[in-house]
Amino acid sequence: MALPTADEIAETRTLHWQPRNLLGTLTLKELLFSNDYQVIAIKGILTSLVMLGLAGLFALTFRTELAVPGIQYFGARVYITLLTLHGMLMVFGFVIPLTLSVCYFLMPKLLKLDGLLWSGLAQWSYWLLALAAVLLLVGRPDFTWTFYTPMSLRVGGDLVWLGYLAIVLVGISEFLAGVMLIRNALAWRGGLMTMPLMGWAMLTVGAMLVISTPALSLVGTLLLTDWLGATAMFDPAAGGSTKTFLWMFWFYGHPAVYLPFVPAIGILYSLLPRFLGRPMWSHVSAIIAFSSLFLLSFVVFHHHFQPAVTEHTWVQRAFQILTLLIFIPSTLHVFNWIASLWQGRIPDSARRAVPFKFAIGAIFFVIYGGVTAFINAQISIDTDFIHNTYWIPAHFHAMFLGFCAQMAIAGIYFVYPYITGRHYNQTLANAHFWLWQIGIFGKVTMMFLLGLVFFPRWVVDYLPLTEWATPQMVLTIAANLIGLGFLVFVVNLALTVRHGRECSGDPWELGDDIAVPAGTPAPAE
Amino acid sequence: MLNALGLMADQAVMFAIIIALGSAGIVALFMALLWPRRWQLHYRIEVFFAALLVVLAVFADARSTAAFTAYEKDLPRGDSLAGVPDTGQDQDAFDRTVRVFAFQWGFAFVDENGAASRNAVKVAPGQKVLFTIMSNDVVHGFNIPAARMTTEFEPGAVRHIWIRSPDTPGKYLIQCLNYCGVGHSQMKAWLVVDGAPTES
Repeated sequence: MALPTADEIAETRTLHWQPRNLLGTLTLKELLFSNDYQVIAIKGILTSLVMLGLAGLFALTFRTELAVPGIQYFGARVYITLLTLHGMLMVFGFVIPLTLSVCYFLMPKLLKLDGLLWSGLAQWSYWLLALAAVLLLVGRPDFTWTFYTPMSLRVGGDLVWLGYLAIVLVGISEFLAGVMLIRNALAWRGGLMTMPLMGWAMLTVGAMLVISTPALSLVGTLLLTDWLGATAMFDPAAGGSTKTFLWMFWFYGHPAVYLPFVPAIGILYSLLPRFLGRPMWSHVSAIIAFSSLFLLSFVVFHHHFQPAVTEHTWVQRAFQILTLLIFIPSTLHVFNWIASLWQGRIPDSARRAVPFKFAIGAIFFVIYGGVTAFINAQISIDTDFIHNTYWIPAHFHAMFLGFCAQMAIAGIYFVYPYITGRHYNQTLANAHFWLWQIGIFGKVTMMFLLGLVFFPRWVVDYLPLTEWATPQMVLTIAANLIGLGFLVFVVNLALTVRHGRECSGDPWELGDDIAVPAGTPAPAE
Repeated sequence: MLNALGLMADQAVMFAIIIALGSAGIVALFMALLWPRRWQLHYRIEVFFAALLVVLAVFADARSTAAFTAYEKDLPRGDSLAGVPDTGQDQDAFDRTVRVFAFQWGFAFVDENGAASRNAVKVAPGQKVLFTIMSNDVVHGFNIPAARMTTEFEPGAVRHIWIRSPDTPGKYLIQCLNYCGVGHSQMKAWLVVDGAPTES
């Protein structure tokens, strides 16, 4: 592999990593319609944060209801509507677009492109997703984010069709983003083996998006036509099949869990070398892990509904084996990150940097929550206490919030000086970091405990059992800590965007405590 | 009472594995952050580590399949409502056979004599009970925490599970574990364990 020289490193930094007040010079028209990759990234980040605020508010509202047994403030319909909007906005409106938006900003810089190629597709992707979010908020569907049929065809009011339409639009939006990401990754001219790992992440997630999202749009379309009575694909009472729905939806739904995961990995692979001042421990290992994760991601979806639909024994077992195997590429990524931390001194400048801290927090949670995938995959244990108890949200909250969202937040703190020309407030950022670590740990741990005692998902009311009520109360407190952390984060950005300390040079320059030997690969790569 | 899947020992082993793996990862992470000593790992270590994970996956697949195959050995087969066996040698393996109809939002139980009850089913302590479960509206779940057994079933399908009823008389929760509409929270029933213990 041809590594860049020290001169090239300096040139790269000068050209691509110059802090400036981009945000302050943008007109509203530019912010809304410019195809400049940095503007699209900023718009995506800001919109995703609004979605996080909304979806988080919904969560805190129903968490308050769940803190103690009984119905306190609102009934089941309001609860499940809030829960549905929370799930859909968090997945489709926050964690996937936020991780991708951070990557939109980093990718051209790391792949030495002038900007995002085919950036018009990113623009269309953004607006279609924004429209989908509006449709969801107006339609207020109450069928959960997995909208199993025939339940999802028999709930909701007159506007529930807006929810189906939103599903179609989300699929198209993500497909367009996928096409654009593949185009940009393939624009790398140095050969695939030398492509920066951000490029590999974007190639992987782009291919996942392009292959999986047509299934989502098709499911949304058929839900709409079934609801209208024009077709009868998914309702057994009308001659359709729930099984068809499950296979079609989860063909999108399982790769979908990697749609924020892979970009978050890409952000981590971009930030760690920058802060450590050395390349990753193994470039090849990461490529192997990305490739195997991609291949396996399409053939494990059956584990989401394995107690619901029995197949031939060998089919069930094949899915079990593949689901056990997909644990390996993710573990290889973690191995690579820890080996990279081990192989040399961690500069003091990195230890102080909040993006680095969030990256470490994210690695912690991907281990803490990810390791349970090993037992989740086993049909016998899944049939015991795992399937659709709180054990499952514990697992995916650790991965989505603990890892993906935290890496996206690390990315925002990282790019912040480049788009505002100013530093964030270190004290507030540290407070945000600790509130999130404590809150997420408390939340995930309580959910795991509730899973062990068979607390069911999607319930607004529950029996007044001590082993259920106590963790629910602690879980609600932990969720409020996360909410408080988000508030601190927003206040920090709002205060420092105009009044923060101005950047005088590279905001992430390596500290004096570490020397970069000549010939070291560009830290950004 | 034993788990019907006979999983308690297996679960202990699997939990030990994930606790060991998770702890190793977290300790390694904190060592990298807090311990001044540095290492340059050889690539061979990762190959060994990946091989270890493959071995663990093979082991987990074998144990899970063995447990589930043993559990399913006595279960009757049937994929449709028409295929439900009312009698048969499969069911000789059970002390009781109960049909369950899940609906929005509750469970109806029909015993061997055709006697129906709603949201409660009575069994004796220690009985081996076969449940033949179906839904005629939406996807429902059927979970008995005390028996550590869960299944889900789409409308039109028939699912069989069996449990060993608890040895201690009392009321044990049965609940739906799949979102099935606005009344999902209320979709509960009770396994009422009463009477003389069953010899088995």
